[in-house]
Amino acid sequence: MRDPTQILTEPLLALQGVTKRFGSLMAVSDTSLDIMPGEVHCILGENGAGKSTLCNLIFGVHAPDEGEMRFRGEIYRPAGPSDALASGIAMVHQHFSLVHDMTVVDNVILGQQRGLVNTRAWAQRLERLANDYGFALDPYAKIDDLSVGERQRVEIIKCLIREPRLFVLDEPTAVLLPDEITALLAVCRRVSAGGAAVVLVTHKLVEIKKAADRVTVLRGGRVVARSNRPAEEIDALVRAMIQGDVKSLDKSAASTLGVGAPERVRNGPIPSETPTLEAVQIDGLTVIDNQGVTRLDHFTLAIGPGEIVGIAGVEGNGQSELAAALSGMLKPSSGRVFLGKLETTYLSPKELTAAGIGVVPEDRHAVGCVVEMSVAENIFLNRLDDFTSFGFLRRKELLGAARELMSRFDVRAAGPGIAFSALSGGNQQKAVLAREITLPKLTCLLAAQPTRGLDVGAVAAVYGHIRAASQRGSAVLLISSELDELIAVADRIVVLYRGRIMGNCAADPSERERIGALMAGQAQ
Amino acid sequence: MTDAMLSSEKRNRAWLRPSVMISISAVVVAGLLGLFLIFAIGVSVSDALSAFIEGTLGSPYAIAASINRSIAFALVGIGFVIANRANLVNVGGEGQIAVGGIAATAVALYGGVADLPAGLPFMIPLLAALIAGMIWASIAGILKIKVGTNEVISTLLLSFIAVWLLYWCVQSPAILRKPMTSSATLPESLEIPDSTKLPLLTGDYSFPVNVGLPATVIIAIVGGLLLTKSLFGVQLRAVGFNPVAASRAGISYSRMVLLALAVAGALGGLAGGFMLLGDQYVLKDGFSSGYGFDGLVAGLLARGSVVGVIAAALLFGFLRSGGINMEMVAGVPTALVMVIQGLIVVTLAGAAFFIGRRP
Repeated sequence: MRDPTQILTEPLLALQGVTKRFGSLMAVSDTSLDIMPGEVHCILGENGAGKSTLCNLIFGVHAPDEGEMRFRGEIYRPAGPSDALASGIAMVHQHFSLVHDMTVVDNVILGQQRGLVNTRAWAQRLERLANDYGFALDPYAKIDDLSVGERQRVEIIKCLIREPRLFVLDEPTAVLLPDEITALLAVCRRVSAGGAAVVLVTHKLVEIKKAADRVTVLRGGRVVARSNRPAEEIDALVRAMIQGDVKSLDKSAASTLGVGAPERVRNGPIPSETPTLEAVQIDGLTVIDNQGVTRLDHFTLAIGPGEIVGIAGVEGNGQSELAAALSGMLKPSSGRVFLGKLETTYLSPKELTAAGIGVVPEDRHAVGCVVEMSVAENIFLNRLDDFTSFGFLRRKELLGAARELMSRFDVRAAGPGIAFSALSGGNQQKAVLAREITLPKLTCLLAAQPTRGLDVGAVAAVYGHIRAASQRGSAVLLISSELDELIAVADRIVVLYRGRIMGNCAADPSERERIGALMAGQAQ
Repeated sequence: MTDAMLSSEKRNRAWLRPSVMISISAVVVAGLLGLFLIFAIGVSVSDALSAFIEGTLGSPYAIAASINRSIAFALVGIGFVIANRANLVNVGGEGQIAVGGIAATAVALYGGVADLPAGLPFMIPLLAALIAGMIWASIAGILKIKVGTNEVISTLLLSFIAVWLLYWCVQSPAILRKPMTSSATLPESLEIPDSTKLPLLTGDYSFPVNVGLPATVIIAIVGGLLLTKSLFGVQLRAVGFNPVAASRAGISYSRMVLLALAVAGALGGLAGGFMLLGDQYVLKDGFSSGYGFDGLVAGLLARGSVVGVIAAALLFGFLRSGGINMEMVAGVPTALVMVIQGLIVVTLAGAAFFIGRRP
């Protein structure tokens, strides 16, 4: 037996020079890290900094190539997640692993018990635990009927019921409402107060201010900064994370990180050449899926030329269906869409492109690009006809035109002929924007989650291009689950909840709470 | 994202960059194994080898026979590669050859084309063969875009239908069987009129290579350009890699799937036409037997390159001819040639697997 006071001063989990490679990519490189019992330890870093890989090493999903891990002083070499769980390490992943047709309690029992199951006893235990942590959860509710925030609570309860010594959360706040984020951070504090350690992975600074005891900053797979007093050293941490100065950042981009208050950068005056005619008019657009569920319910909206309208809402509240219906990928069940005087409701993607609707799809890889093809082919994928004579592609001209757009949109790549998959996420998104924004006579730009997974520099560039399009007179529909992004970029905000418009708000920081409540379905 | 990147890199390494050395060594290894098998079954290796060479290169006739076989393999293989760009697997070459042969025979015998001027007597039956193959494969294309039937299954089953259709055509006097004059009348069609036979390049029956050869060369060049330089090629690739993104960019998935299968089927049908009008002259049951599947293997081994298809088609054509002679002269079962062909496939696939895995 060890002396209990000694245990407290010894790290719970210690990583020593841990390295993990994927092919030629150094995902985590020579990283050392101590997690102390009773602390909330934030891992901060941009996308691709190695945060998720680090979590997966701790949870036994991957094995390190070099270095060693010690858990409670002993060598820790998990062969898989079940080893990690057995050692007392639990993890909430970015993507949930719940069985949708089953109830909450059944999901919690799954994998915890064999043989006969006393569901009632489990349900009582679950309710008690949820009450302890200050949130309500109906053990007999079906996962399908729960909101994203509630589903995450199920994941958290699944972990907590094991009474873990180390609790790892990988980007848990990306899908949550503002209130839910606060509640989650409170749960983290409670867990750590009980003596367990919490590892919280994030790229948002607000969360660090509110909850972190210590912070480790990763960039390019390496530890670039550590802090024991994170709340006071935020600026230094941001500098380390983005390798640049906060003040040099685009103000809107910085505000979405949580540096300072959300700040709006006002657009120039809206051109009013055709004041009576809206650029885009959506009338009662309704989408009913093939299970008969109404995904989008009589959505009505008018967007003027040069106006940026933001669509706020927690993911899965009809935004995807709205975007798909407007971009010709989904036939709406009813309703009409006009672009100026032209009805575009049932036009094909090709016709919509010709009509001047540019689309930056939510899922870049599934809809926005063909990663196996070259950068040039992707940039002109919807306009290859322009570079064709007698059926043959004028490849030199295509490459030249692509090179020009790449430099205009700052798409960094070895050349226009290389595979799209070789580009970073930010550069891929800039290339997609380049394709959609340079449509001849762009009347409407539809951008869905355009900054997801991008680092701060790329976020600023995306905002710049969206604003430029609006200044040239295009109507912009910006769909985002990041409220700060909408407040910073949009002129006004429409809140979607379960496929319905819950309310119209000004894009102003003072409206933040009201928008948050509307996103949660609370009409006022 | 990283996963997608890794797997696409893997694919690049394994399939898009044909490593010539690997193909050659696979063929050599398989050949050596074949020789060992000949030795193992107790046949003199030198007898077998000389019979093989006699059967492939021994006479102008042998060379021409090998080339005629290769033509069919090459056409089916090129069609396979084109459809495969759109991520479609056309395994229906056999049936497409069969319907092509039926159409060519029917038009040549009963289409009233025999007395037309200047090449039309054989061009019209060829066109009929091409259209028949195209329609046959388009059935699979329509099934795929309308109800989502997997084209592997539909083209394969359509092949079975076509093969039995061929059987019916040559069995029933009401269709293509020649008039029954006695109980010994074979179940086959009449011989096609001389004017509908493909002209020989040399005009000499001791080297019976016909106009199918230059036609195939032209088709190969056009096919290669189509894949590498044309808008159609880029659109095929876009649909093959990511149908959703392609359709968002205005490239119709249905149109591309239908076109790709139609082209593959047209080439299969044309192969049937060439075989019938250039080589066999009489429609018989089972005339397409094995050609469709060897063509498919040629397309598979080529890893997306038309040049690769030509190389594989020639290899298989000569292997087949040599194998037949080995059986006749040296008593080596033809099945052994199939074994060697199978070994080549396995060795190549194995090599590709190991290259793909190397970090």
